[in-house]
Amino acid sequence: MPIVVYRLLVLGLTTLAVAAPLSLVIYQSFLTAPFFDPSAKFGFAAYSFVFNDPDFWQAFWTTIVIAGGMAAIAVPLGALLAFLMVRTDVPGRNYLEPLILIPIFVSAVVIAFGYVVAIGPVGIFSTLAKDLIGFVPWNLYSLLALIVIAGLTHVPHVYLYSAAALRGLSTDLEEAARVSGANPFRVAVNVSLPMILPAILFAGVLVFFLGFELFGLPLVLGDPQDVLVLSTYLYKLTNKLGVPSYQLMAVVVVAIIAITAPLVFMQRLLLRQAQRYVSVRGKGLKTQPLRLHGWRWFAFGAIVFWLFITVVVPLFGITLRSFVVTWGEGVKLFDVLTLDHYRELTEYPNVIRGILNTLGIGVIGGAIAVACYTAIALAVHRWNSGWTRLVDYLVMVPRAMPGLVAGLALLWVFLFVPFLSPLKSTMVSIWLAYTIVWLAYGMRLVSGTLLQVGPELEEAARTAGANDLRVKRDVTVPLIKYGMLASWLLVFLIFVREYSTGIYLLGPGTEVIGSLLVSLWGTGAVDLVSALSVVNVVMIGVGLAVAVRLGVRLHG
Amino acid sequence: MAELIVKDVALRLGDNEILKGVSLAVPAGEVVALLGPSGSGKTTLLRAVAGLETPHRGSIAIGDRVFFDAARGIDLPAEERGLGLVFQSYALWPHRTVFDNVAYGLKLRKVPAEEIKTRVEKTLSQIGLGHLAARYPHQLSGGQQQRVAIARALVYEPPVILLDEPLSNLDAKLREEARAWLRTLIVTLGLSAIHVTHDQVEAMAIADRIVLLDAGLIAQEGPPTALYNEPSKLFSAEFMGSNNRLEGKLVENSGGKATIEVMGERLTGLSRTKAAAGEKATGVIRIERVHCASSPGPNRVKMELKAPMYLGERWELVFARDNVTVRAYATAPLEPGDHFVEFPTDALWVF
Repeated sequence: MPIVVYRLLVLGLTTLAVAAPLSLVIYQSFLTAPFFDPSAKFGFAAYSFVFNDPDFWQAFWTTIVIAGGMAAIAVPLGALLAFLMVRTDVPGRNYLEPLILIPIFVSAVVIAFGYVVAIGPVGIFSTLAKDLIGFVPWNLYSLLALIVIAGLTHVPHVYLYSAAALRGLSTDLEEAARVSGANPFRVAVNVSLPMILPAILFAGVLVFFLGFELFGLPLVLGDPQDVLVLSTYLYKLTNKLGVPSYQLMAVVVVAIIAITAPLVFMQRLLLRQAQRYVSVRGKGLKTQPLRLHGWRWFAFGAIVFWLFITVVVPLFGITLRSFVVTWGEGVKLFDVLTLDHYRELTEYPNVIRGILNTLGIGVIGGAIAVACYTAIALAVHRWNSGWTRLVDYLVMVPRAMPGLVAGLALLWVFLFVPFLSPLKSTMVSIWLAYTIVWLAYGMRLVSGTLLQVGPELEEAARTAGANDLRVKRDVTVPLIKYGMLASWLLVFLIFVREYSTGIYLLGPGTEVIGSLLVSLWGTGAVDLVSALSVVNVVMIGVGLAVAVRLGVRLHG
Repeated sequence: MAELIVKDVALRLGDNEILKGVSLAVPAGEVVALLGPSGSGKTTLLRAVAGLETPHRGSIAIGDRVFFDAARGIDLPAEERGLGLVFQSYALWPHRTVFDNVAYGLKLRKVPAEEIKTRVEKTLSQIGLGHLAARYPHQLSGGQQQRVAIARALVYEPPVILLDEPLSNLDAKLREEARAWLRTLIVTLGLSAIHVTHDQVEAMAIADRIVLLDAGLIAQEGPPTALYNEPSKLFSAEFMGSNNRLEGKLVENSGGKATIEVMGERLTGLSRTKAAAGEKATGVIRIERVHCASSPGPNRVKMELKAPMYLGERWELVFARDNVTVRAYATAPLEPGDHFVEFPTDALWVF
């Protein structure tokens, strides 16, 4: 098979996988009824319904406020955290690094459940506070709490990009400021952070964008007080009219994509600019850390406090809740300890299937997904053609579809295409949805590995007499083996964590822990939810431990 | 084996005109060195021959096998040209043993396993690495890696072997040994080769013929002795050897001799210019051809000795007068002060 055939084949399949769900959504948004309804006609009825619904606009503005608020919290904290971790002698930096990244890898619904059982009205910490000081000094079910929690859990995203930029900067500028009499905090604010401003700006846009993807947190924390964001508005729409209102959902999806797509494009431009900025300035890589002296333990304390709020509180809460019968005022811990919730898990065949399916989608599905990402990356690797740019943009498209949206679009594809329908209630549908949703992420992992293969290693094989495909098989792929393995681990982690993509595809045979958690929470089965959450966290914890042990970089 | 012929090859990378029309022939059994400063296009020319860069004009062929011809739209992919290429970084595949690295070209040519074994072993023993076949590249020293890279390019007996600065990654002492070893190997096996280097001594030692490139064009070509002893251009004169440069005014230019005025004195040398009297001219003389004399005479200039430097096998003397500096070699140091420096007419070129 000549290389051209391979390239066009991969290009065609990728285009199909990306474009089919998107175009089906746009098509559906211009119909007056679901696409399978014979009475469906072209028209703008759905648009006028949604745009005249005050709830939609309420959700829209709430989403903007939350996205802006969490960026306002996450950006300064994340940048400062990066400065402390990369540039200073904060104690225990090597141990803190993987802990800081935990909020990225733990499912947002699990974190949300954790906050409810830990600091909700009758939460573990709330009752403790009431016993001590007579009242609960916080209110979890408020817009402010939602913004603060969303902001704190997105600090690691800002941290990752700021830290990468800081590592590319030479330290002598900071040392010069220090010698001139600036204390560490002033060095950070006046010298280091301004120099990585493009990276911080990028992270800010990223967090604002992630605000539109938020689903688990507003679903769990916003629901009791009827706070809706666009994603939860979409989710509620399913039941709004009693009949499947696909055309309305399609309009909301189009509205969401109309906001996220420009944001994704902007991120791309900003990232390129940020990298250019760093590559100009980034020279000598001296790693002499800035001495904090007295500030050392203060900074350490601040980081640990943040970790306590964002990681320990929710995870401790959910874990403890999974081992007690009930919780409330005046309950003694030793009276209520139990293992029943875990026993109960085994009594539900769909939960057992969900756990096995989650493992399967992570291990096997992750491996096949990495193989697909590699196939695409190899097709454009060293391809001197304008088509590579098309692929660049193509893999960005699913990024603009939040998981919930992509899952819905995929469901419609499976309903719409007759020969695909039998696959709808198998794990193939889940795998396809996950693989498409994480296309951009996976491609970045694999392409990053490919960049490290020196071109002369491939050229040497060419001159020895190997054609393009042979070079890829005999030289390129064996050289990126380790990188593919690392990508597999990271894809395992996000596939196991994923909850929103599977929600619309959930049915007998397609259960995964994430979507089960969302649907069980709706029925109020707190006992089951907490036990299943802990199972999910343990799976991710094992994956993370393996990754750290193997020295896999936890970011692409 | 037939002759490799490169005709009028021009190549652009982006907006950059790297090669501006280069023609060159490598007869069977001859070693040609592509010599030039960095940016002169020597590596690009080599890569164009290998098929790794695509020129926009010209043709490349071995005998009647056309590799590239812009006019006829022929561009044979690198893997079908059957050449051997040794990379500057060696580019040994880190995931294969020495044996597998060398065997790869034969495997691609569907040579039976038994024959691959004997041929690889023979090649490895020719380069003196027969005992290291099972090692991985990272377990070898730089010099050994370089030999494996050469073996890998030789094993399938290509008509021409292309060497891209193969010695530049070795340290100075090892480089001299490798140079002698490589020349011996090339002569023993009767190879045709193109050897890219920026080191003129290496080019002269290894090549039968040197092609000197300057900014994408051939400045001069010929056997090493011709390039060193009869430079036709100021560029070739200055690129080869270590030189003294004397800027002055042309006083006379006739009959193959030219006289220039430098430091207010007249020096006569071999004319390499068509300029007329009164125009500016440059005299070039190799450091080793400058003599020190005790008395005045023709082509001798009185200069002050500034700094004698001991170099081990000889002394280097630095003379100065009126902003002109001249370097010369001597077997023994001279007393500081004024001396007469002689520029023999047959060693001084006037451009």
